[in-house]
Amino acid sequence: MTSILKLLVATSTISVAALGANPAFAADLGTDAGTSITNTVSVAYSVGGTGQTAETDSDVFVVDRKVNLVVAKSDAVNTSVAPSATQQAVTYTVSNQTNDTIDVLLSSEQLATDNFDVTGTITYYLDDGTTAGVFDGSDTLITYIDNLAEDSSVTVHAVANIPAGVVTGNMADVILIGQAAAHGGSGLPATGIGVQGTAFSDDSGDADDAGQVQNVFADAAGSGSSDGAGDGYHSATDTYEVAAADITVTKTSNVLWDPVNGTTNPKAIPGAIVEYCIAVANATGSAPATGVAISDTIPANLAYYSSLATGPATVPSVIGVVTEGSVTGSTCNADGTGTGAQAAGVVSGNLGTVAAGVTETLIFRVTVE
Amino acid sequence: MIKAISLAIALMMPGMAMAANNVSLSSDVFVERKVAKPNGTTALILEQPTTVTPGDKLVFVVNYKNVGSAPATDFSVTNPLPKAVAFNGTSDGTEIVSIDGGKNWGPLADLTYLSGNGNVRPALLTDVTHVKWTFNRALSAGSGGKLVFRGTVK
Repeated sequence: MTSILKLLVATSTISVAALGANPAFAADLGTDAGTSITNTVSVAYSVGGTGQTAETDSDVFVVDRKVNLVVAKSDAVNTSVAPSATQQAVTYTVSNQTNDTIDVLLSSEQLATDNFDVTGTITYYLDDGTTAGVFDGSDTLITYIDNLAEDSSVTVHAVANIPAGVVTGNMADVILIGQAAAHGGSGLPATGIGVQGTAFSDDSGDADDAGQVQNVFADAAGSGSSDGAGDGYHSATDTYEVAAADITVTKTSNVLWDPVNGTTNPKAIPGAIVEYCIAVANATGSAPATGVAISDTIPANLAYYSSLATGPATVPSVIGVVTEGSVTGSTCNADGTGTGAQAAGVVSGNLGTVAAGVTETLIFRVTVE
Repeated sequence: MIKAISLAIALMMPGMAMAANNVSLSSDVFVERKVAKPNGTTALILEQPTTVTPGDKLVFVVNYKNVGSAPATDFSVTNPLPKAVAFNGTSDGTEIVSIDGGKNWGPLADLTYLSGNGNVRPALLTDVTHVKWTFNRALSAGSGGKLVFRGTVK
């Protein structure tokens, strides 16, 4: 920067290809807060044929901190949850557009304009990218975002429990609110990793100081109820949507045979064989019901039909407990392929997953004592 | 054009080396801001650079004056741009600039930038590293003036 030029006379038009000293654009968003700007001017002249120089410094001032952060819902869909589900997550991205590293203090809000509120304390997890954008066991529990570098962003999950008693289509909105705070270190460029900093205060209205880094809030208004522009906060809303499995269970019985009439209009007399059908129906548009297990106590005066009876044709065969059959209308079909069990008068069987719109059955036979 | 000094009384004091403070120089920096006036228009005002953030527009003013008793000849004023400031032109347009740290000078329109991979392109305002005004007339004793240029905080 020494410019002691004795000088070129005014503007000669020489075309000069100079090797660029500076790249045309800096990669980052803006000059870092705390950078000093010093302007130095020098002058060269001659008096009486003798060259002279003079130099002066201007005021030095520092570049201040332009605080801006953006919280956004991280995907376009709502999180689908079941009633009474625990530790369900909604996901946001938080990005730092300040010309400095900041901490982001986290809080949340639930409005009264939706169908229900999530229960329990809302906790926050930092997504570690193992399954990017999906809440899983490797994400870290946090209370604030530590040292978010300028021009970078992270994914945060807000996790809560769903109450019982909600039905398919109910929605709960959760607003994640981020507040810009100092990175927690002292002086510059110390970074305060692991130290939660204090929230920035807006210095726009204060007496000005050229030598200190002051804060100018440049954030937009978010969706939070008290989040305005230029207040150091930003917020966004994400939604839980309930998709319950709507299960109906129907138990029907049918006399198949009796020792007098055989299969022609059999009656429920002692010795008759009766077939029970337990039908589990999952309504259309529900979530699939998984792990459906049935347990049924055989009523008094009935015995589990386990050995072939004797009598008029056609004696019903011993089928055991048959699961995963289908229905046609209100008739249980004899097409089940799974097997259940019976012990001490209790019939049990697993239907596995019953998808929306599907009915599956468990069928067993008893003898009237 | 630089305010030309009309009377050039060339006082030649042979062999006399004058003290280096013949010319006084001062440099001020202002931040240009828009303020809303009561009648609904916006005015541009210049204020002290106390709160400055990236993107702000700065105005640099250099005041020079010949406070000696002899004219100053071969007069030039050089201002390197601070690193955090991008050059945005001068008010008079008579300056020459350098994009390579002060080695080569010329009007911006005449300079070209050689990038690392060998491409040559016309130099841009953002390439400017130094600004200089050279005067083709002597600055007589007692005269002075002001040079103004603008920059943007990167």
